[in-house]
Amino acid sequence: MYTTTTTETEKSYPFKVENKFIVKSGCKKRMWRSLKQILTAERALPWPDDAVLYYSINAPPTFKPTKKYSDISGLPAPYVDRHSKLFYCNVDEFATIRSLPMDITAGYLQLRGANTIVG
Amino acid sequence: MEDVLVLKDYKTVPDIVHEYGPTLKFGHIPLVIDNGSYQCRVGWSIYDEPHLIFKNLIARPRKDRCKKDAEPPVTPPIQIGNDIINIEAVRFQLKTQFDKNVVTHFEVQEQVLDYIFSHLGIDSEGNVPHPIVLTEAFVTPNYCRQLMSELLFEGYGIPAVSYGVDSLFSMYKNDIGDSALIVNCGYHTIHIIPVIRGKVIAHHARRINLGGSEMICYLHKLLQLKYPVHVNAITMSRIEEILHEHCSIALDYQEEIRKWANPDYYEANVKRIQLPFVQSTSSSGLTAEQQKERKREMARRLLEINARKREERLAEDEEQMNQLLALQEIMEDGDTDEFNEAIKGFDIKNYEDLQRQITNVNSRIEKNKQRIAAAAAAASAGELPEPKPSGRLQPPADPEAFQAWLNDTRAKYREVVQRREARRARRAAMLRRRTAAAAERMRVISRLTAAGDDFGTRDSDWDVYKSISREADSDSEADGERLLELEEALREHEPQQTSSQHHQLHLAIEPLRAAELMFQPSMLGNLEAGLAETMEYVFKHFSAEDQLLLANNVFLTGGCSRFPGLKERLERELLEMRPFQSTHKVVMAKDASLDAWYGARDFAGSNEFEKYCITKEEYYEMGAEYLKEHHASNIYYKSPAPIVDNTLAPAGDANVVKEEIVVDC
Repeated sequence: MYTTTTTETEKSYPFKVENKFIVKSGCKKRMWRSLKQILTAERALPWPDDAVLYYSINAPPTFKPTKKYSDISGLPAPYVDRHSKLFYCNVDEFATIRSLPMDITAGYLQLRGANTIVG
Repeated sequence: MEDVLVLKDYKTVPDIVHEYGPTLKFGHIPLVIDNGSYQCRVGWSIYDEPHLIFKNLIARPRKDRCKKDAEPPVTPPIQIGNDIINIEAVRFQLKTQFDKNVVTHFEVQEQVLDYIFSHLGIDSEGNVPHPIVLTEAFVTPNYCRQLMSELLFEGYGIPAVSYGVDSLFSMYKNDIGDSALIVNCGYHTIHIIPVIRGKVIAHHARRINLGGSEMICYLHKLLQLKYPVHVNAITMSRIEEILHEHCSIALDYQEEIRKWANPDYYEANVKRIQLPFVQSTSSSGLTAEQQKERKREMARRLLEINARKREERLAEDEEQMNQLLALQEIMEDGDTDEFNEAIKGFDIKNYEDLQRQITNVNSRIEKNKQRIAAAAAAASAGELPEPKPSGRLQPPADPEAFQAWLNDTRAKYREVVQRREARRARRAAMLRRRTAAAAERMRVISRLTAAGDDFGTRDSDWDVYKSISREADSDSEADGERLLELEEALREHEPQQTSSQHHQLHLAIEPLRAAELMFQPSMLGNLEAGLAETMEYVFKHFSAEDQLLLANNVFLTGGCSRFPGLKERLERELLEMRPFQSTHKVVMAKDASLDAWYGARDFAGSNEFEKYCITKEEYYEMGAEYLKEHHASNIYYKSPAPIVDNTLAPAGDANVVKEEIVVDC
């Protein structure tokens, strides 16, 4: 009884043959593979040599030295604060970053992708 | 005052249901869908413009979980695309069918297709009688195409479908010849696709996994960190607007940002963005005179209340006095029994007690009367009790002198702060070994021990103890008090900034920084090569003649290619990477966002269209992942059968042969 009431309330369109992937409310949802899972599965297949697949056209890693920019202003930054690991470009900025609370410095590091322990 | 940019906070308009006339209904007209990860554009192939343009997003409100079996849960409506009026209100319920630039979540895709077909007014029974041209990502995995075809053929009963790549459609639409290096800057990815003599060289194409969405996130986080106070006002949609309207690509990033180090340049070029704010009415809306008037009014009212209270108390006391006097009379009449009876109602034990109470009440009445008289005299004289001056620091009234006083106070404040900082630093240094401060302290101590008998005859001798003490001394206490005093004076008399200025975002390098991510993904900690470097990498794989063909026709398309300055920047980068004196040319798409749809429409209207369609029969015969190749399509490689290797048992299989589970109820 409970399911019939919900199916009635769900909108159905005249042009549809069936609800192909939309599941009725209350039913278990289908788990969709993420792109990463799809690509892993794709990689495992024995493709011919000339096949071009999603993962094979990734951009190459960069070979140029990465430039350092001040985290707070974006100016070229020759210095690193050893305490917070933030980049800074002059004395004023140093004073500023020393006064920043922990969550802000952590946010800046995360934004730069430098918050991992190994990096 | 420089002009301040105001955010427009664009609102979407819900789509209407379009008319589904007989020409469309019976004409077998192809439907063109540019299914992009940012926007979806839909229209009929016989019209010039797409009918629907909406963000490929749905908002699914959460269900109430409280009542399980009491009553069937009210399913709140799902909002799709332009139905979502205020995107910030449903930010955490947004879903998209895309993972990066590929469709992976087909339940959402089905809902989006429902939205599309119903808003086009399609009302035919049991099928959608139109061939469909659908764009897909460059080198879409077969698995995703298979699900898409399943959905279209089995869910909607369409007669035929043709898949194409958006950037290739855009290239053919712009009619720039049959050799080009396509640079397609999208919402999640940037593709660099070489096309030589009409043939897509897919194995030398490259994709940078970064696009408009990353730039928005970057700028969003950056501004939130810069203005932690306004975290909630800095929304994704506002950042998107800033990115669309105020960001640009620097011709030479290093040189451009170096300019910003100069304060004058900063002042002249900084962009001020006004966030919406609510003017607090109580404080800033009133002038000083009004505030004073209001204060006086309050004082007057307070006096009135006090006077009323006094009078009430007086009346009460007099009433009590009368009763007590009556009791006394009874006693004086000698009627002891009656008196004893009467005092039970009061809190009185005997005659002496009564006498004492009478004197108490009498004195109270006297005092009250005096007070009332005093208050009346003060009120009639028009004098209010003046609030005593708040501190010793009263500013002069004259505006010029006031300014001088203010500056002076500020200077004093700074001086005290500096002194305190210096002392703190010295004390911190003294705690550590091998610092100049620690050495100085040791020197002073050793001199103290060697001091002669006349030590202490002068008061200043004792100051050396201050210089060697590790704790806070009396000087710092005095400074602390002085600091508080100055702070208070400044807080009270410093002219207030208008509150609109408190709600401004200052954009300096940030707009350049966000757009520069394209060329330097390393700013995000992404180790991929940037746009210019990847182009150089792609060039390297071609012969010199082909390189020249590509370099002379670099084609820019995709929404993110609309940044001002991108064309010039790419020309400069090409000049750097190409051999000396070789030629190059950058061509912009006429309409970077919509050309893919226009190209797909032209394709659907062409004579060969039928030939490139996958029909229902072919779908059943060739498998769901089947793709018919054409000039703007991906290349089809049939998925090979998985290797059946029993020696490599379960571990490897775990993510390969994972069955999807659908549990029906």
